[in-house]
Order: sequence, then C-alpha cells, then structure tokens
Amino acid sequence: MLDKKVIEDVLYAALSRGGDFAEIFVEDRKNGNIKMVGGLVETNISGRDYGVGIRILDKFNSIYAYTNDSSRENLIKVAKEAAAALNNNQMDIRLNLMKRDTSNNNPVKRHLSSVDKKHKIDLLRQGYEAAKAYDSVISQVAVNYLEDEQKVLIANSDGLLVNDSRIRTRYAIQSVASKDGEMQVGYYAPGASMGFEFYDTIDVKEVGREASRIAVTSVHADHCPSGVMPVIIDNEFGGVLFHEACGHALEAEFVSKGTSAFANKLGKLVASPLVTAIDDGTLKNGWGTTNVDDEGTPTQRNILIENGVLKSYLIDKLNGRRMNMKSTGSSRRQSYKFAPTSRMNNTFIDSGDSTLEDMIGNTEYGLYAKKLGGGSVNPATGDFNFAVMEGYIIQNGKILKPVRGATLIGNGVKVLELIDMVGNNLQLGQGMCGASSGSIPANVGQPSIRVKSLTVGGRKGDE
Amino acid sequence: MNNMEYRDLLEKLLRESKDKMDDAETFLIKSKETEINIYEGEISKYSIAESGGLSLRGLSQGKMGYSYTEKIDETSIDMLISDVLENGKYIDDDPEIIFEGSDSYEDMDNYSQELKKIEVEDKVNFLMNLEKTALDLDERVFAVDGCSYEEFEQERYILNTKGVDLQDKFNGAVVYISVVVKDGEDTKTGLSYKIFNDFSVLDYKEMAKEAVDNAVAMLGAKSIKSDNYPIIFENKTFANLISAFSPIFSADNVQKGLSLLKGKIGEEIASPNLTLVDDPFLKGGFGSRNFDDEGTKTTFKKLIDNGRLESYLYNWKTGKKDDVNSTGNASRSYKGSISISPTNLYIVKGDMSRRELVNFVDHGLYIDNLEGLHSGLNPVSGDFSLSASGFEIKYGEITRPVNQITIAGNLFELFKNIEAIGNDLEFGIPYSGFIGSPSIFVKSLSVSGE
Repeated sequence: MLDKKVIEDVLYAALSRGGDFAEIFVEDRKNGNIKMVGGLVETNISGRDYGVGIRILDKFNSIYAYTNDSSRENLIKVAKEAAAALNNNQMDIRLNLMKRDTSNNNPVKRHLSSVDKKHKIDLLRQGYEAAKAYDSVISQVAVNYLEDEQKVLIANSDGLLVNDSRIRTRYAIQSVASKDGEMQVGYYAPGASMGFEFYDTIDVKEVGREASRIAVTSVHADHCPSGVMPVIIDNEFGGVLFHEACGHALEAEFVSKGTSAFANKLGKLVASPLVTAIDDGTLKNGWGTTNVDDEGTPTQRNILIENGVLKSYLIDKLNGRRMNMKSTGSSRRQSYKFAPTSRMNNTFIDSGDSTLEDMIGNTEYGLYAKKLGGGSVNPATGDFNFAVMEGYIIQNGKILKPVRGATLIGNGVKVLELIDMVGNNLQLGQGMCGASSGSIPANVGQPSIRVKSLTVGGRKGDE
Repeated sequence: MNNMEYRDLLEKLLRESKDKMDDAETFLIKSKETEINIYEGEISKYSIAESGGLSLRGLSQGKMGYSYTEKIDETSIDMLISDVLENGKYIDDDPEIIFEGSDSYEDMDNYSQELKKIEVEDKVNFLMNLEKTALDLDERVFAVDGCSYEEFEQERYILNTKGVDLQDKFNGAVVYISVVVKDGEDTKTGLSYKIFNDFSVLDYKEMAKEAVDNAVAMLGAKSIKSDNYPIIFENKTFANLISAFSPIFSADNVQKGLSLLKGKIGEEIASPNLTLVDDPFLKGGFGSRNFDDEGTKTTFKKLIDNGRLESYLYNWKTGKKDDVNSTGNASRSYKGSISISPTNLYIVKGDMSRRELVNFVDHGLYIDNLEGLHSGLNPVSGDFSLSASGFEIKYGEITRPVNQITIAGNLFELFKNIEAIGNDLEFGIPYSGFIGSPSIFVKSLSVSGE
C-alpha cells in the first residue's frame, strides 16, 4: 500500500524532534450500503475511505496526525508538523522494518465486491417481504445491507511492518408495528467478518420475522411497571450489559489513570464466582475479530474475569506504558482519523449450568428482558443504563405478559456481584461500540443470566 | 491542493459526468482539525488533521446514483462515474432531483479569522490553567479525566450541471473539562464545555468551578421514591432531549410513517406556551448557513407556533411528494445520500428565570443530566425511559442530589404538559443541527427509583 522506503522516511521524519516511538497506519477501505424502505431500493452508495494516520509517542504522551494525501512529500510534511509539537533532539534510532505474517482468523470464500448487486437486493427483498408478511400491524420495514473491505498497513519504529485485511458484512432490519395511533419498533441485525458466504449461514427471512416479532410483541404490550426487582437477561445481545457495565471500565484508557472502578483490583474478587468473562479477538469470523489490532499486535483471547476474580484488563501500547503492562492486542480505532486506544473485540460472559427455564421458574416476581437495546456507561462511576427492547413480567415462576418501555439502571461493580444464576446457552450478538477512538464493530454475548435485583425504570400508574 | 485546483478537479469531474448522465452534482468537504489534551500538566495528546471527501451523484434515466472517495485526485474520476451509473440502476424509489439554485442567498459569514490566529501556546496555557484550577478547587477532586481544546474548520463546495456553484466555510472550537471527585467510596463526575468562535469570552476559572461544582453537588446522591413528580429540566439537558427527538420533524420520516406528527399540521400538539423554530440565520449559531446541502437557500420557520404544528423540515425529494418547496433543510455527508436535518433549532425563551421556575414547585425534581438518549428513547413512538440525575426540589428550593432514577413518558404527552418556559436559552454541542432550549417546567412525569 505504501513503499517500504517511504514508510521509513516518514517514521524518521516523525522522530526528528524527539519522541521514542513512531507509527504509521495506512487505510484503504471500500464501503457499500444498500437500503430498502417499504420494499423500494432507496439508497445505493459505494465509496472509498482512504488515508494515513501518523502517531508519535513520547513516554506517556502522544501526537497524532492524519491526512488523505499519501504522496511521499505530503506524508513527510505532515510527520514533520506533528514532530514540531516536540522540542527535543532526535534519538538514535535505526529502522529495520521486518514484514510480519499474520494468522488468518477471518477466512473469506466469496469477496463481497465480487457479488452482483442484484443478489444483494434480492436478499433485501426476501427479508422485507418476510418482515412485512409477519403480521397485519407491521406498517413499515426498512432493510439495510452493509459491506466493508478494509485493508490496513501498520508499521512502527520498533521494526514492525504488517498488513491486515478485514472484511465485514451486516444485514439489519427494522420493523415498525402500528396500532391505535401508537408505534413500536423491532430491530435485528446479524453480521460477521465474512464474505458473502455469511448469507449461507443465516436465513434473512428469519431475520425479518424476528424484527417484526419484537415490534408486534411491544405494540401489544403494557407499560412496564417500575421498581427494584430480579431481572433475567436473555442470551446473545443481552451481553451488552457486561459490555457497558464492566467491559468499558476494564479498558486501559480508564484503568491507567485510576479513574476506573476496577483500577488496582487485579487478583481480587470483583464479581459473583459464577462469572467468567472473556474478550476474544481471535474468534473465527467474529464480528469484532481481526488478525492484528490497530497497532499491529496480534489479537488474543483475554480472560478478563475468572470465577469472579479479575484477571486482566484490555490494554493498548500507550496506556500500557502508564500501567507498566504489555498490550493485550486490544488497541482499536474506527479509521485512520482516530488515534487507537484500548477497546473490546468479542466480549462475553462464559456459559454456566443453569437453564433459562430454571431461572424463570425460580423467580417469584421480576422482569424477563428477552432483548436489550443499546445502553451507555460512565466509566468513572460505573453507572449504566440500558433500554429493554422486548420484556416480560414474570409472576410465580411463569411469564405473565409482555411489557414495553423498560430501562435498566445500576452500577457496574455492584451488578457483577448480584448475578446469581448463569445459564448454559451462550450466544453472541453484534453491535457497534462508540468511544474515544470512534465507532467499531464488536460482539457482545452471554448465556441467559439472572441479576438478583436491579432498578427497572418503567411508567408507574399505567398498569 | 489549493482552492483553484479543487475547483478544476470538480469541474473536470462534472464535464466527464455530463457525457454519461443527464445531470450530475459534486459535493466536496475539506476539513481541518486540531485537538490538544492536557493530563497532569503535560500535553498528553496533540492532534492535527487535514482531510476531506468528494462525492458525486448523478441522474441517469431518472435514477440517482451516488459514490464517494477520500482519495481526492484525478485518478478517482473514472471510479466515481462508473459507480454512480452502476449504483443508480437499482434505485426504485421516487426520483431525486438536482436543483438549479435559488434566486438569492442571505449574506453570511461563519468564519472567524480571529480564532485562526490564536497561538497554540495560548490554548495550551488556557488548558493548563483550567486543569490546575480544577484540581486545586476542592480536595475531593480526585482527577481531571478530560481537559481538551478542539478546533475545527470546514469548507463546503457544491457544483452541479444545473448551474449551482456554491462554496462556504465555517470554523469553531470546543473546550471541555471533566472531573472526577471522590468522598470515600462515593465517586461522581462533573463537566463543563463551551463551544465558541471567540476565544476571548472563555474564562477558565468559571469553567473549572462549574465542572467541580457539578461533581461535588452530586456527592451523597441517592435515589427517590417512585412516583409522578413535577420536573424542571435544565436548559442544555432539555436541548439534548429535543435533539434526540428531532427526526420526528423530518418530512422523510413523516412520509414513511415513522413520525407520529403525520397528518398533524395545524393541530395543537403542545402546550400553547411552546414555540419551536428552525433559524438558519441565528447569529453565532453553529448550525447557521445560507444554503443547504442541495444548494437551496435556507429559510427561517416556526415548526411549532404557540403549541400548533406549523411545518415539517423538507428537502426537494420530500417537498415534491407533498407539493411544497424545500425548506432548505437538505443535509448530507459526502459518504451519504441527501437527508434532512435542522439548522439552529430552538425553543423560544419565556420570561421566567430558572430560580422562579424552581419556586413554583412544591415537591419535585430538577433534572440536569439524562443518559441513554440514543437507546432509551424511541423517536418513532415518542416513548422515552431515561436514566437521570439531578436534585430534589422541596417547597420551592433545590435540596439534596438524586441519582439512580429513570424518568419515563412520551414526548407528545410531555409537550402538552409544559407548564412554563424559562428565559435562559442555551445550546448543546452540535451534532445533527445546533439545538437549544431554555429551562422547561413539566407538570408531571413518571419517575422510578426506590
């Protein structure tokens, strides 16, 4: 993507005024997006993201610059401008870039760009029709097909030179159900780091029916009552609870500055002993899988919490310096427009022994959150919130009725201790995770779990 | 590339497009960004960036195709044109148009030469002072976990084969501080931010104090009994809520059946004291512009006038469907197709101070933080259930801090329940439009806590 000699010249220029480490990140990405609304192809866009990010580290500090112009002349100019922020002498650095091979965690059979657009649109139509036909109250369906093929080159003054190719596709359906002047939404969006063969592994009609099922359930549901109660969170995208409530606070960006609730807790019991949590960047064809992270470090399987004991953080190079710890292959960024930092890849709570039936059967009164929407967290306080997209009230060990509009709030450190049942049905769900280094694809996941008590925000008085 | 070279490229791209399609339009964004972060008295991160993107859209046999690239040079021309032709083939929605331009455009200048002249050293010194002041203000300040200065500058070019040839630029900056305070095991955060294009109005002492005060005031916060309470929303907090719900005013969502405002023009949808305007000419507004992303002149309009729904926001495609003109609210990024967004959208201020509003409340809540605005809120149904924090109001006075609660309701019910509107209009950080609100007093909302 860039001549080795040019890379070397840029790295030398970046270190011309001091700094102890320089890195170059070259990105060339093809994006495609086709959107069908109400059965009509409304949008069909393709394009190319292209640019170069240059980073200089000086102990705990960093300088970052990016540009679209990858000519040698411009890159050296940009590197020098970045270097000008430092005021020291050049250290004695001799570059010896060695091209490194990577493993292939994301084997691809059919490249997305090689597939005719007609096939892609046919997939949209199949999903649309299945979603629309699901129930007469479905008033609108939007289907989105996304593909992206990202090629990166990462080189640094430690001699690293590595290429990676990340191919991803996602298929998202939003169904709207309308009844008596009210509207409710259902959403389902599977994706993977795979070629077009991904669509042999999922049934797009099933995706459409699932989105519509959620919308229809909600439009017939009552408002959720409020209060503190046991909450059963189902598997797959329910894992967003761990992602938000704990995952972010395990990122070195917060741990290194001591502002995370989990800082200085390695080796300590931080969760119920039933909880083992893992972040695995190597999961085959996983939505959040890459071969190397965005600093060129090979991704790995990191056990974060084992039987309740904190085992590891998610660490990038820069924050690792402050913590005096090595990278865990967890440095990520949306694109060349962002300096990388510690992030999650595929994060999940591991399987336990309980069954979902046991959990419901053992709950006298509580909420069964079958599908969670998104959420967010304040990593310093650990306070989190999530939307429940599909929920049911449990009474006397049985599902009583669907409820809508529930929000779960709580504190990450506390909620980990309150998990009192972990199911045996681990599954992963796909999401986009937003933080300081941009929006990146990440898997969340878990088996069904029960939290002994959680604040459920609903609407009192509407029961 | 300089200005002339960009124009040459755009003109060449249009010429070559015109040979293969009926009409075509180029849209170019050039941006520059600088960011400085301070941590413990050192520049922990310094970023500089120059980037941009070039988009082509073109009509062929009545269908509009789009493509874009960030490799902005002549080598991209062939790809842009062939992708536009290929992508357009499959469109089966109502046709978009390429606009021929408005008769005239308001004069406007959103670019501050002064801001550009501020020395890096002055910005760094400001941040150093800001961080140090915050750390020294109160012994419970545990860390300043964010202290940054971000400056942005953007140039926009729209050229098309119908004769539109427009160009503008704007700049601005944001200063931000976030502090963490600790009292034993009790951890709270507080922040202060300012968006500006006049550096001289900034006061680091005031910002440090605001962030620390916000955090310290929340120490010892507890939940409150679940019930329905009268609520006063802090101005910026209500602006964020309006921002998350702003898609309901888009004619595109209305036409697709994704907005409950469908068929409600002329109807009373809010309390008579509520007037909501979209004002592209607001002085100092970060959504100010005299032409939109289709090259149409922008217009001032009331969306809600004393409680009555007056208008939606239109671009040309949605305007044609409803047989009205574009309201000048077409919006896009170079990576996307034409959509709709507000410019400066705000609730017109009333005449009561925040203090007077609080005095009205016998027992209720003052809410100055809402979380989960992108998940706990559904613009389609209007339903929201949001994690919130703030203070309990008793007998007209703000008392103890409250957290670990959610407030829930429906936007359309909330609109009708607005009792009074403050005189303290403020704007949030611009995201999709620049959204503002005064403090708002709502009669009753469902709160869940203990």
